Amino acid sequence: MLKSLIKKLHVVQSSCGFHTTASLNEVRLLTRLRVVDNSEIGKRAMAEGKPPKIICVYNKQRVGYIGDRVLVAIKGQKKKGILVGLKQTQKVKVPKFDSNNVVLIDDNGTPLGNRIHVPIPTILRTILKEKTHSKGADYTKLLSIATRFV
Amino acid sequence: MALAIRRYNDILCATKWFIRRDCRVFSTLPETVEQYPKPQVVKEQRSSRIRANASNPKLAYRQIYPEFLPDPNPKWRNSLREKLERADMLKRRSQIDIPEFYVGSILAVTVADPHAQGKVTKFVGICIERKGCGLRAEFTLRNVVDHQGVEVRYDLYDPTVQKIQVLRLEKRLDDKLFYLRDALPEYSTFAFDMDPEILPEGTPVPVNAVQVILKPRPWLERWERQELKGVANIEEHLKEKDRVRRELRATPWEKYDLMKTYRKTIPVEDQNKIWAEVNSQLEQLQLTRKKMSRKRIFNTPKVQLG
Amino acid sequence: MATTNLNILRNALNKLRIDHVFTRSFQTPKFRPPHWYLPKDRVGSEESLTQENKKFIEEVMQERMKAQAMLETESPLSNIDTSQTAQWNPLTRRVGLIARKIGNYPLWSKDGKKVQTTLLQVVDNHVIKYIPPEEFNPMIIRKPVWKEKKKLGCLLVGAETIDPSTVTKEYCGLFNQVGMLPKRILCRFMVSPNACLPSGTPLFATHFRVGDHIDIRSKTMDRGFQGVMKRWGFKGMPASHGVTKTHRRPGNIGAGGEKARVWPGTKMPGHMGNRWRTLRGVKILRINVKHNVIWTLGVAIPGETGAMCYLFDTVLPLKKHKTSPPFPTQPLIKDLPLEYYDESIQPFDNNSITFEET
Repeated sequence: MLKSLIKKLHVVQSSCGFHTTASLNEVRLLTRLRVVDNSEIGKRAMAEGKPPKIICVYNKQRVGYIGDRVLVAIKGQKKKGILVGLKQTQKVKVPKFDSNNVVLIDDNGTPLGNRIHVPIPTILRTILKEKTHSKGADYTKLLSIATRFV
Repeated sequence: MALAIRRYNDILCATKWFIRRDCRVFSTLPETVEQYPKPQVVKEQRSSRIRANASNPKLAYRQIYPEFLPDPNPKWRNSLREKLERADMLKRRSQIDIPEFYVGSILAVTVADPHAQGKVTKFVGICIERKGCGLRAEFTLRNVVDHQGVEVRYDLYDPTVQKIQVLRLEKRLDDKLFYLRDALPEYSTFAFDMDPEILPEGTPVPVNAVQVILKPRPWLERWERQELKGVANIEEHLKEKDRVRRELRATPWEKYDLMKTYRKTIPVEDQNKIWAEVNSQLEQLQLTRKKMSRKRIFNTPKVQLG
Repeated sequence: MATTNLNILRNALNKLRIDHVFTRSFQTPKFRPPHWYLPKDRVGSEESLTQENKKFIEEVMQERMKAQAMLETESPLSNIDTSQTAQWNPLTRRVGLIARKIGNYPLWSKDGKKVQTTLLQVVDNHVIKYIPPEEFNPMIIRKPVWKEKKKLGCLLVGAETIDPSTVTKEYCGLFNQVGMLPKRILCRFMVSPNACLPSGTPLFATHFRVGDHIDIRSKTMDRGFQGVMKRWGFKGMPASHGVTKTHRRPGNIGAGGEKARVWPGTKMPGHMGNRWRTLRGVKILRINVKHNVIWTLGVAIPGETGAMCYLFDTVLPLKKHKTSPPFPTQPLIKDLPLEYYDESIQPFDNNSITFEET
């Protein structure tokens, strides 16, 4: 009990010892993320103070932008996720968040949890629809478990 | 050593300034030169603002409509472009009521959004920054929704903006409120169904003197070096090293740098021309806004009944 | 004996004349300036002028400026009968405009997107002179090409009227011949013979239409002598790890051996900017008729604010005119609307944009 409490405090104070790109706040390899859905593995990882770490960003630039698919290392497992909120400065009318948020999904695009407990940007609706192909993974399932859009 | 040199420089600068000022008394230069940059300083005391309001309404415009003044960089100045830009801004203002607001005011912005379900999104938050001149003017709203800090940037003259409503008109102690990102979340939490607070006509804009409490370090910026007035507990998180560094990096001579203020501001003569050009239309817009607000007050009970 | 020898020598020397000395001068001159290329700036001293004379000069200047302004609105030249002149076809070349870049600001499109635009002001442009293709004889730049050339005439266009007392007599004479005040900028446009215009014809921003694509030629920003990192985007060298004195230098510029020399065209430090560059296929989004201002898409137009640029119909095959533009130019019409907007652009005095639920 006490141990877990200490660990929690530890997370709040320094989730990451150093910044790779402080001014840009880019989401790239080895960035720590915050899991915002209620999947079991995500909840446990956040409670233990071991937030997931990016080990691959699936795009050409290798820098994650809103709606991009990422591979994360979480509790010794590899899971896929979708970035649903970024710290980075965004375009006009696109919200900027205080943390880098991720929602865990499986290979078909189905979210592991069944509820997202933070607001997600409305532009994600269009981005995810564009990314969904008729035969590939269906990412729009993520939108249906969202509680709030900003 | 470096500290000593810096201090020495500091004293040197100060003495230089004093000498220059005293010499001016004996010189034959007209006194008006000294008065020249004074009215351009954008930040002003509240009391003086009221006085300015009473004597010259144009001076108050500088704070209500800061985006009407062009960028002071001489590389980008052009009188015709500025004139066309102002005309476009007034055209947009005749379509949508853009109210008077300041950094620290709480706004509700309704935007037409092709991505949203109802094609409209509304966001409520505190204005933490206002910048840009002309049609480039933009402002940033911050709120904490479901324990998650969210910031949205809006263009002031964007035609997709449906409505800008001021829920609480007030100022804060600082020009930019970026420190709210590191403050406790209750300082930037506002309900989306907040009711607008109506100030009686003619009252000056109140200054909210609240001092926020910062979370422990690490911080996003070095707040201790920015001479913030709206932060209460900055000293308790500092180490000796930070205090020394703050002393080293301090630039107390900058407020005496007249040339710097001159370069950063539009001269009074230019401002007078600009305000004279837009004055009549702005007054008309204000009148229509007053009429509308009266109507709204009259209508509200009916809406509630319905 | 000696004297006879001397006499012979003298006779021989007498026969020798200077013009028998033969020098080779077959080369054509490297640069022959066109006849309108005259010294412009006058260095005048004001000392000899009395106060009265100064006043008189000012009065004359005022009158002439007034006459010039009248010319723009009331002269028959400004209302050309477009039906009379030859018809436009895709091969004809029209005259262009001289404009001044006056800044950038955003406009919004009808689908709510922000677009950055550049504003170009067309300042009293007038046709000064037309030189038909037979008379036009430019300097020879390269070897003659032995094929039937498309013959183009030369149209001189001036912009920005200035005080005649500030320019030289010769430069002023160019304009006096056609009864105009001197212009700050004088530029030539190569036009098809059927697109020629009489001297004194004013040109307006409505010469182009909203939605057209144009080419813009102007001088880039002058950046002075620059190193390779700024001029060519080289990477430089590391900041540390034992690197000394070569953090921003180019490094190696070529191998030794057989080609132990610097190859022509090697990217090196040097003067950057202040070159003529053309940006092709720029779309016109909005035109203000009163101030003769053109809004063009994008911010990539070369030069800083206040730079002069030349506007032409584009040569890009996919963006060329499909239908006939105002030919040879748009005459002055009194009751034109004040502003033209492209159909994709949202005017500021329209209602706010709303999106329909699909």
